[in-house]
Amino acid sequence: MASKVPEFGQFAEPSLLILVSLSDGPKHGYAIMQDIEQGTGRPMGAGTLYAALARLEEQGLIEPLPPVDRRRPYRLTAVGASNLAEQLHGLSAFAQKGLRQLGRTPS
Amino acid sequence: MNSLLLRLYPSPWRARYGDEFAALLQERPLGPLDVADILLGAFDAQLRLRGHDTGLAHGKGFVMSLRIGGFAAILGAALWAVAGLVNSGVFVDVDVAVPSILLVAGMPVWLVALAGLSAHQARTEATLAWVAFLVPAAGTVACLIGIIGILVATDEELLWMMFALGTGIAIVGSVLFAIVTYRTGTLSRAGSVLLGVGSVLFLTIGNPNTQSIGAVGLACIALGWFALGVQAIRASGPAVAPRIA
Repeated sequence: MASKVPEFGQFAEPSLLILVSLSDGPKHGYAIMQDIEQGTGRPMGAGTLYAALARLEEQGLIEPLPPVDRRRPYRLTAVGASNLAEQLHGLSAFAQKGLRQLGRTPS
Repeated sequence: MNSLLLRLYPSPWRARYGDEFAALLQERPLGPLDVADILLGAFDAQLRLRGHDTGLAHGKGFVMSLRIGGFAAILGAALWAVAGLVNSGVFVDVDVAVPSILLVAGMPVWLVALAGLSAHQARTEATLAWVAFLVPAAGTVACLIGIIGILVATDEELLWMMFALGTGIAIVGSVLFAIVTYRTGTLSRAGSVLLGVGSVLFLTIGNPNTQSIGAVGLACIALGWFALGVQAIRASGPAVAPRIA
């Protein structure tokens, strides 16, 4: 699977989770952490969250909004949205291939 | 404890994220795993920011260059479209030099558009995108130097050669840029097809028998750049309507 997404190293998975979390609208750091914990059942640490947020912002995939009571919301950019869609399509194709190989493709 | 952890991050990072990070740490009690996670985060920030500023300026610069590239693409497209219309005789009593002036004026604008959009595409296909920038950019610069030299200074053969060669390289480069744009798929594919087809057709404009085909080529180029510019401006904006959680 050819990678067309920026390299995030060990922060690739947190970055994907953050992009998915922001796909339904802007959120600040704590709301992102809660959303990810609810969605995956696993908490994301503040250090990991901000390491990934800084990378995503640097890549232009998310952008900050003016802070509200010291809490700064972030939102997905259009580039981030297309990047996320590309990653999800790639994961979907990978999952379908795996299911086909297991003989568990819904007929 | 929180302020101590925060101090482990480099000062440019604290200047950018410190306030919101401190607010986040106040919102939930820290366990040992959280502290370990923050220590790793601080170590990562120290490695990343050693000798650099935060990536914020880079990220903003990226979005801004895409936006500027988009506007330049639309302006360049407008200049060339008007040049094509004037050349086709739609307007009466217009100096015969006007289409050439508009084409020349569109070239630096086109260079700005090319640079802005290439920077965007380089994030997906770095080498290809920069080759597809350098070839048409070099051709356009040579063409500009040639044509300005001819108009302003002398009528030397070398300048004519430079103009002709530059134009040829710019058109070939334009096709290359269109192919790379289509391949990366980060901007309008319809726009890249129009640009590529238009560039090939535009090659025929030098032949008096096929000038109308060349004019169609110019129209396609203008439309292609317009589509790419619109897409770039859209891509540099927000993806979703603000709804803060």
